[in-house]
Amino acid sequence: MRTSNRRRGRPATSNKLVAYLLHHIQSLVFSLGKIYHSPITTIMTVAVIGITLSLPGGFYLFLKNINAMSGDIRSTTQITLYLDIKLSEQKARALERAISKTGNVVSTEFISRQASLQAFRETSGFGRSIDTLSSNPLPHTIIVEPVSSADTFAVKNLLNALQAMPEVKIAKLDTEWLERLYTILEIAKRSVVIVTILFSIAVLLVIGNTIRLDIQNRRQEIIVTKLIGATNAFIRRPFLYGGIWYGLLGGLMSWLIVEIGYLAIAGPLNRLNLLYQADLMLITFTFQDFIILVSSSTLLGLTGSWIAVARHLNQIEPT
Amino acid sequence: MIEFQNVTKRYPGGYDALSNVSLHLAEGEMAFLTGHSGAGKSTLLKIISLIEKPTRGIAQLDKINLKTISRHRVPYLRRKIGIIFQEHHLLFDRTVFDNVAMPLIIQGYRHQEIAKRTRAALDKVGLLNKEKSMPVTLSGGEQQRVGIARAVVHKPMLLLADEPTGNLDPVLSREIMQIFLDFNQVGVSVLVASHDLILIDELQKPVLTLNQGKMIHNDLNRDQYDQEVGGFRSPQVNEFSTGNW
Ligand SMILES: Nc1ncnc2c1ncn2[C@@H]1O[C@H](COP(=O)(O)OP(=O)(O)OP(=O)(O)O)[C@@H](O)[C@H]1O
Ligand SMILES: [Mg+2]
Repeated sequence: MRTSNRRRGRPATSNKLVAYLLHHIQSLVFSLGKIYHSPITTIMTVAVIGITLSLPGGFYLFLKNINAMSGDIRSTTQITLYLDIKLSEQKARALERAISKTGNVVSTEFISRQASLQAFRETSGFGRSIDTLSSNPLPHTIIVEPVSSADTFAVKNLLNALQAMPEVKIAKLDTEWLERLYTILEIAKRSVVIVTILFSIAVLLVIGNTIRLDIQNRRQEIIVTKLIGATNAFIRRPFLYGGIWYGLLGGLMSWLIVEIGYLAIAGPLNRLNLLYQADLMLITFTFQDFIILVSSSTLLGLTGSWIAVARHLNQIEPT
Repeated sequence: MIEFQNVTKRYPGGYDALSNVSLHLAEGEMAFLTGHSGAGKSTLLKIISLIEKPTRGIAQLDKINLKTISRHRVPYLRRKIGIIFQEHHLLFDRTVFDNVAMPLIIQGYRHQEIAKRTRAALDKVGLLNKEKSMPVTLSGGEQQRVGIARAVVHKPMLLLADEPTGNLDPVLSREIMQIFLDFNQVGVSVLVASHDLILIDELQKPVLTLNQGKMIHNDLNRDQYDQEVGGFRSPQVNEFSTGNW
C-alpha cells in the first residue's frame, strides 16, 4: 500500500486537537455569521423565544416581589386586644403598661374608645350616623407587637396568656389572612413551575423547528459533505451551535423584556408608596437570576437543536 | 484496490441493477466502465463509494468489506476516495476555493496546509485564477474541473468519476480525461464511467462493459476472461507509474 510518504501532510495528533478546537470555533463563528446573514429569520426566532420566556420570567419576578412583601408583613404580626367595654380608661392604661413589661413583647399601643370612634368616624364614611348613637359601642384596645424573632409557638402562647386575662374580651392574632396569602402564594409558585415547563417545551419546539428548516435548506450541503467523508459529529456541529445562539439571544431578549416591563410598573408603584407612605422596593433580577435565565435558555436551544439534528440529519443520506 | 466477487445489487423494487459482477482493479490501475443507459454503471460506483450496499457477493475497497463496514467508519473510508459526479455537486453559496478546500477542512488540516493544497489542486485543473469566483459564474466545464479539484485535493488513493464528460464538448472532454490520466500517472487508481466510446478507445485503457447488470466485457481479468469467452481486445500492458505527486 502506498502509504506514509503520500500521507505525510496529514495532521499529527496534537495538530489534530488544535484543528478540532479550531473547527469548533469556526462552526461557532460560522453559525453566528449565518445568523447575521439571515437576520429576519433569526430576529423572528429570537423574538418568539424572548417573548415566550419573558412570561415565566416575569411571573417569577412578580412572585419574588410578593414573597418579599409578605416577609415584611410576617415580621409585623400583631395581636389586637379588645378590652371589656366596662373597663375604665385608667385601668385599661394600667393593663397596657403591665403587658408591655411581659416577655416576648416588643411594644404596645393603647387606643382609647374615643380615639377608636374618632378614627372610625373619619375612615368609615359613616360620620353622621355614628353621631346619632347614644353611647360609644367601641371598647378600649391594646395593640401588642410580639418580638419578631418569636416563633409561631411563642406567639400562640402569648396570645393564650393574654386571652386568659379577665379584662380582655377578645385577643385576636392577625395571621389568618397571612395564612391565606401563603396558600395563594404556594398555588402561584406551582403555577410558575407549570408555566415554566410548558413555555420551555414551546421554546424547544420553536428552536427544533427552526433548526429542522435550516437542515432542510442545507440538504445539498449535508449530502456533499457526507460524500466527501464528513463524520456526523462534524455535520451536526454548526446546527448545534445555531441552537445555542438562538437560545442565548432569546434568553437575553426575555431578560430585556422583563426589565422593560418592570420599568413600566415602577411608576405606579412609586405612587403606591406615596399613598401608603410605604417603602415597597421593586425587586428585579439578581445577577444569579440573570445567569440562570440566560443559561437555561441556552441549554434549551442546545437541546432543541439536538433533537432536531438527531431526528433529521440521519435521514439525509446521499443516493 | 477494488475487489468485486459475484456482486449482485437488487433495488427495493426487485430489479437487479447488477448481477454477479466480478472485477479487480489493482492499485494504481485505471479503467473505464461503459454500458448502455441503465446498465448499472452508477450503481457499481455507488457501491464502491458506500452510497449503496451490495445485496449479495463480496465487495471490497482497500481490503475492507463494503457490506459489513460499520456506520461510523464510513466517513473515514470515503476519505480514501475522490468522487466526481456528473452533476458536480458544488455548493453555490461559497467560493471555488472554499468548495475545493472542503475535504481538507473536514479532515482537520491546518490552515496553511489547506491553502497550499487547495491552490495546488486548482492549479492542476487550470483554475488557479478562479479561486475567488463563485461557482455560478463558471462555465459547465470549469465547474466540472472544480469538482475534480475537490475530489483530488486530499490526495485520495482512488478516483471515481461518473460520466464526468457527460455534457461537455469533445475538446473539453479530452482535457478532462487527460487530467484523469495525469493522476493515474502518479499512482492514483482511477475508475471512470462513461458513454463516450470514441474517447475511451483513443485512451487505450482497460474497459469494463456492463449490459443489463451483467459484466459482458472485462479487460481487467484477461486470463479468466479469455478462457470464458475469448479475446475481445489486444492485451493491455499494465505499466502504471506508482510515483508520488
Ligand atoms: N434507487 C433505485 N431504486 C430502484 N431502482 C434503481 C435505483 N437506482 C437505479 N435503479 C435502476 O437500476 C438500473 C441501473 O441504474 P444505474 O443508475 O446504475 O444505470 P447507469 O448505467 O448509471 O445508467 P446511465 O448511463 O443512464 O446513468 C436502472 O434500471 C435503474 O432504473
Ligand atoms: Mg449513471
